[in-house]
Amino acid sequence: MSVRIQPTNTHLIEVRLRPEHFDAEGASALALLQAQGLMALKEARVSRVFEIKGPLSANQVLQAAKDLLCDAVTQEHRVLAPTPAPMNGMNSWRVEVWLKPTVTDPVGETVREAIAEMGLPRPDSVRCALVYRLVGRTTKLQLEKAVSKSLANPLIHRAVVTEAHP
Amino acid sequence: MSTPAAETAADALTVLGKSAKELRALGDARHLSLNDAEWAAVQAHFKSLKREPSLAEVETVAQTWSEHCKHKTFTSPIRFTEGRKTRTIKNLFQETIVAATAAVKKPWCLSVFEDNAGVVAFGKKWALAFKAETHNHPSALEPYGGAETGVGGVVRDVLGCGLGAKPVLNTDVFCFGRPDYKGPLPEGAHHPSRTLRGVVAGVRDYGNRMGIPTAGGGIWFDDDYRLNPLVFVGTVGILPQWAVKKEVRAGDLIVAAGGRTGRDGLHGATFSSANLGADAPSSAVQIGHAIAEKRVLDALLRARDRKLYSSVTDCGAGGFSSAVGELGAKSGARVRLEAVPLKVSDLDSWEIWLSESQERMVLAVPPKNLKALEAVFAAEGCETAVIGEFTKDGRLLVTHHDATVVDLDMNFLHKGLPRVEREAVWSAPASAKASGGVEKKLSQALREAVAHLNVCSREWVIRQYDHEVQGGTVIKPLQGVRHDGPGDACVIWPHAATGDLEDFTGFTVAHGLNPDYGRLDPYWMAMACVDEALRNLTCVGGDPSRAALLDNFCWASPADPKQLGALVRAAEGCRDAAKGFGAPFISGKDSLYNQSKDEKGRELPIPGTLLISALAPVPDVRKSVTMDFKGPGNALYLIGRTNDELGGSLYHRLLGRSGGEPPKVSPAAALDGFKSLHAAINKGQVLSAHDLSDGGLAVCAAEMGFSGEFGCLIDLDEVPRDPRIYSNETLLFSESPSRILVEVTPENESAFLRHFGKGAKSAPVRRVGQTTANPILKVVGLDGSSIMEEALNELKNAWQKTLPGMLG
Repeated sequence: MSVRIQPTNTHLIEVRLRPEHFDAEGASALALLQAQGLMALKEARVSRVFEIKGPLSANQVLQAAKDLLCDAVTQEHRVLAPTPAPMNGMNSWRVEVWLKPTVTDPVGETVREAIAEMGLPRPDSVRCALVYRLVGRTTKLQLEKAVSKSLANPLIHRAVVTEAHP
Repeated sequence: MSTPAAETAADALTVLGKSAKELRALGDARHLSLNDAEWAAVQAHFKSLKREPSLAEVETVAQTWSEHCKHKTFTSPIRFTEGRKTRTIKNLFQETIVAATAAVKKPWCLSVFEDNAGVVAFGKKWALAFKAETHNHPSALEPYGGAETGVGGVVRDVLGCGLGAKPVLNTDVFCFGRPDYKGPLPEGAHHPSRTLRGVVAGVRDYGNRMGIPTAGGGIWFDDDYRLNPLVFVGTVGILPQWAVKKEVRAGDLIVAAGGRTGRDGLHGATFSSANLGADAPSSAVQIGHAIAEKRVLDALLRARDRKLYSSVTDCGAGGFSSAVGELGAKSGARVRLEAVPLKVSDLDSWEIWLSESQERMVLAVPPKNLKALEAVFAAEGCETAVIGEFTKDGRLLVTHHDATVVDLDMNFLHKGLPRVEREAVWSAPASAKASGGVEKKLSQALREAVAHLNVCSREWVIRQYDHEVQGGTVIKPLQGVRHDGPGDACVIWPHAATGDLEDFTGFTVAHGLNPDYGRLDPYWMAMACVDEALRNLTCVGGDPSRAALLDNFCWASPADPKQLGALVRAAEGCRDAAKGFGAPFISGKDSLYNQSKDEKGRELPIPGTLLISALAPVPDVRKSVTMDFKGPGNALYLIGRTNDELGGSLYHRLLGRSGGEPPKVSPAAALDGFKSLHAAINKGQVLSAHDLSDGGLAVCAAEMGFSGEFGCLIDLDEVPRDPRIYSNETLLFSESPSRILVEVTPENESAFLRHFGKGAKSAPVRRVGQTTANPILKVVGLDGSSIMEEALNELKNAWQKTLPGMLG
């Protein structure tokens, strides 16, 4: 007889500004990357990804996303698949900046408490990442180098650069 | 899985019988930063105990004896050679800073050099706690997190001062490389513009989220800071006078409150005793959690008012080891590490004991109050845990489950540090004559001066800070008709903390810093810094005779006798300034070893830097003044004498000239001028006042003009001066200290002048011109001809666009 161990649920929620709004954070990120020499980048928009681990169901996570993580007036949210299918980017890039596991994530900790205060089960852990969607001509290597000098500090951050479908 | 016993065995170090070289290697591998003499003392101590130390014991000793905690350089003997004379200084700190405070003997100093912050009386019921310190090394590695935890740390210092003070003001001063630096940088170093952005964001986020106004500060740019930025963070807190004294009693429980303990920030204290290099441990860097600290603050102050604990201190560098060690230094302490709430369960005993996880406080709680205290903290969602008790046996005993982790004699820990005599050398620069450089037209020099990085508008930074929260910022950092002129200092009316809307007493905080003078002579730099801080706070209405000072020395490695010699000079300057101005030092800090290898592998030391921060009460905040011209046709008075001392000045920097005499302060005359001005401000006879600093009279008049949008006419022949000065440039750009430009209405002129003495020792004051409706800065030279006519809006544009132009 084989014993199946139920893995802890891991949910990924992305919260971003609605496309009709000006993204100041994105504009500032774009300027920083351009200052690193990536002059062909044309657009940058920023969103946040929350990795919620623990005994929450998909519906409960959605409720937290809707009522807690997302400002319904200006933002929208969606559930991410744990391993997004690789896509041909065509000059679209996705940069995820996570704090390394050894570094305290104050936003994550606060979200964890806030979810519990909503009356939902307390997550085992919540981590928060900044996700930059970039449009423009560059190479992965160049982008990784520029990110490590502007958007992420390799000492405390883990940055994941992927070509992504817009 | 490791049992406690196995863990202890693994944690034991072999120290006895090892050679100095082997011990040094052991220290390097563990980032312990103990020197040979200290290792020998540890070895001798454990030899007398006939046992090997545990890792946690050696770590505790290394933390306690670190530069950060014991200020070894300042308290060890120094052989000081000055020219041909050599003398021995037994304890630099005692003989300069402490001696000056003892000499001026002010009854309103309630606690100096003892607690986490200095405390002065504020009215009859209240007291102000003031502390400024640096967070340089962490900010170099991770600017955002480093600056954030720096602010968190100094806020906790004030929170752990006395029985706890409520923070009412944050003030921050930075030294960076130029943000448009184009040269090479070594691998792993951040570009100065990235450091600036990160540090400003860190200070902003922590202060804003905790609800503390960030309303004071300054920035100095110099490329020698490109690898070692300096981040000074300061906080003023307010507490009732009954809460200034604290005392641990044997039998009190040791209660840890606030954040949980994790693997963060290990070796922060010992790290500060080492040169910054590529192999810095990443665990020394953390991200702060402002909301957690705010909860600790709220709970702690509530518990203080109910008198639920007898002492408190913050968990800073060294974590529990220094917090418990400090609190129990006179009694003794017994700690059980298994009771400490942890973030992750796999921490070793020594890691729990030494972790520098943020947002934690340690309290000494009488057992009968424990229940009530727990309830107060629980109401704020703030975790507490009893981790041991204070004893009276004079020992520090730490156990983890059944294993003994640390068993040390408090006496050895706090008094066993071997003092090593160091060499220091000071030789005055060979030639006092300025040389080199290219002459510039006066108008060109003025335009370049206002646009210079060390003068230009800081609005890009200031606007990110919330300086209004708590609703008591009477004089704001940006002043003038369009709220964008450069203020001298802020004035805070802490009514939100005192709850008293009838009492209009406030306080002001100002800074003085100028490493360029220090390059010529650190002694005169120290004098000039004290003078600058005091004249800034006088300008807004602070009482210069009630000012209290903080010192912050940031220097390169004191192992270099020349660097140490300069440090001694600066400390002696502080002593003489404090005595001369009658202003006591109440607290301070030093950060040494600020040097690192540049891209070619050469050591790049920072210029010796001293930050003087001054705090003074403002008797009536309704009378405080700003620096912008208030109207046309008003008289302009210049207080203080102008001398030919352009060494280290902005003007010389613009011309590319080096050498020369640094500005020299005569404290008696300076203080006389400040006191007279203070009296006039208190009578409401002053419309605006602004101090003359970088760029001298020209920049000062321009700033006052474009902030108020009125022009002025200044006659240089009227400037009180050394009669040997025959040059317009010197009068316009000299940075002679103790000078203030004041605007007075014609009706008040004679009343204003009555406050100033006429004796040889009093400060000279002369009418040098008047304000005009047309916003133009007009200057009449010594020969009676017009030498400058500059449109103020053009100067303002140049002044405003420098920083945004570099940072976007």
